[in-house]
Amino acid sequence: MKKIEAIIQPFQLDVVKDALIAIGIDGMTVSEVRGHGRQKGHKEVYRGQEYTVDLLPKVKLEIAVTNARFEEVIATLEAAARTGKIGDGKIFVSDLSEVVRIRNGDRGESAL
Amino acid sequence: MNSKFAQKFSRLQSRLREPQWRRYGMLLLAGKLVGVGLVVLLSMFINPGLLGSHAYAADPVLKANDVVNPINTMWTLVAAFLVFGMQVGFTMLEAGFCRSRETVNVLMECIVDTCLCGLLFYAVGFAFMFSHGNGFIGLNWFLLNGAPATYEATGVAFLAFWLFQFAFADTCSTITSGAMIGRTGFVGDLVYSVAVSGFIYPIIGHWAWGPDGFLATMGSAGNFLPWVGTSFHDFAGSTVVHTIGGFIALAGAIVLGPRLGRKFKRDGGGPMMPHDLTIAASGGLLLWFGWYGFNPGSTLSAMDFEGIGRVAANTTLAACAAGLTAMFYAYLTSKKWDVSFTVNGFLAGLVAITCPCYWVSPGGAIILGGIAGIIVVAGVELLEYLRIDDPIGAVPVHGFCGIWGTLSLGLFACGKYGSTGPFAPDHTAPLTGLLYGGGTTILVAQFIGSATITVATFGVSLAVMYAVNAMGILRVSREGELYGLDLHEHGISAYPEYVISSMGRPGGMSAIATSTESIHSHPTH
Repeated sequence: MKKIEAIIQPFQLDVVKDALIAIGIDGMTVSEVRGHGRQKGHKEVYRGQEYTVDLLPKVKLEIAVTNARFEEVIATLEAAARTGKIGDGKIFVSDLSEVVRIRNGDRGESAL
Repeated sequence: MNSKFAQKFSRLQSRLREPQWRRYGMLLLAGKLVGVGLVVLLSMFINPGLLGSHAYAADPVLKANDVVNPINTMWTLVAAFLVFGMQVGFTMLEAGFCRSRETVNVLMECIVDTCLCGLLFYAVGFAFMFSHGNGFIGLNWFLLNGAPATYEATGVAFLAFWLFQFAFADTCSTITSGAMIGRTGFVGDLVYSVAVSGFIYPIIGHWAWGPDGFLATMGSAGNFLPWVGTSFHDFAGSTVVHTIGGFIALAGAIVLGPRLGRKFKRDGGGPMMPHDLTIAASGGLLLWFGWYGFNPGSTLSAMDFEGIGRVAANTTLAACAAGLTAMFYAYLTSKKWDVSFTVNGFLAGLVAITCPCYWVSPGGAIILGGIAGIIVVAGVELLEYLRIDDPIGAVPVHGFCGIWGTLSLGLFACGKYGSTGPFAPDHTAPLTGLLYGGGTTILVAQFIGSATITVATFGVSLAVMYAVNAMGILRVSREGELYGLDLHEHGISAYPEYVISSMGRPGGMSAIATSTESIHSHPTH
């Protein structure tokens, strides 16, 4: 099983969610995070003074998928979240050693 | 007993639900009402005087003062309530422009300053400021003892006048905390507030507004500087309230030093982020609303109805002009339509018009307001350059534009407006300024008054701030400031349910501030 962490633009969240639901991914965890990439944010002006916005608001999605499906999920995610501009985000994939459904104790792929 | 009542009650409930029982109930009720009505009617025949009125003697003829004084008092009280409403505006403005970690501290300081001011102004403040004594200080009416029924020639009830002036004193007291947000120890704030509300504001204010204040009686034979030719005029307090408040704030900001982690523009830094601009902007508008009591109420006379209307109109126009010029001037330098400068802008216009509002024309109000808008933006830049941390721009808005407003009377007083006679206090006689052919007389008097009060205020308040600092209570400890004033002094953060995370950081914010942008955990119960 794989865990997919996707950091995306906040305004792409609805598009990505709809795309994932359309391919049958039912579970996800969404959190609001802040961060930056190679550009280290950008400069703004407030009260006549320049300041750096280097912690930009992003949205993080965490999804657990089976080995069989994860390429498909990544491709969908990527396509839905892409705008082609700086700040689109990244997807991280890691191995998941165990999954448990708390309600009834299911384990492994049947708990996904 | 209880269960019987419960049974009856539940029976009533179930009956109310059935339409037939409801109709029966209505019928019973109607019948009882008709019965009562019949009894009353009958009794009127038996005793006609029961509900009818007796014939009275003719009403006594009302003399002018029977009507004038009550109306003037009413007007003064309504204005006092509006000025007190400015406290809400100040609270919201200051809270909105500071960081969330010091919000509770701001709220507490505003509330406590108000409470302290009320008691101090009752005990000694009003006495120092408005009683007779000598040119420097009033010496009567401590604890309001021995006070007459009305105040001087105004005819306004004494306590109503006291309340009106308390509201003004409260305004000054609240201004002072504005530049000291985020690093002032609460006990230190209490101590310097006592000094401000009880002594600095009333005594220095006496010079300009006391019946025998040396600036109020200046310019005539036998008084201070008779060659000036006219006294110092300050209709509603550009100098007395705003300059005094602004320069005490400046003294405090200088002695305190900036907040930890604050890096200034010339060192590559920038402002600390406001945490709620909704509250800040709404607070500013509330202040504007309260100003409609601050300026027009200073006529202390509803009889001068033209004066009230003119003052209110001038107040409005100056604020409008200042808001726009500040916004456009800020846009020139930053290419953004900055909300904080716009709010500071219209407040600056309001401060500036506060002195000359009675004597200028609407056109003059617009011009002097517009200039105030530019002064305030330049003032904020100046303080930033001098490395003085003023979170909400209190010093440029109140201090600098208070001075400008006071001086502008000497330029823009147009000579057409005045109200003398039995219903008007003396200080509303017509004045003519430089731009209307009145020469420099008034300008000189305004300059002398403003300079005297500014220098005296700044000097005394520096001394007070240094004294409180020497006691070790002015600035909060470093650990307390990093932890956050709210939790350190008040035990609760303003938004305990929300995670406090760092916003877009000012460029070059030091590592100190990084470590303090921690997530405050939900307080365990």
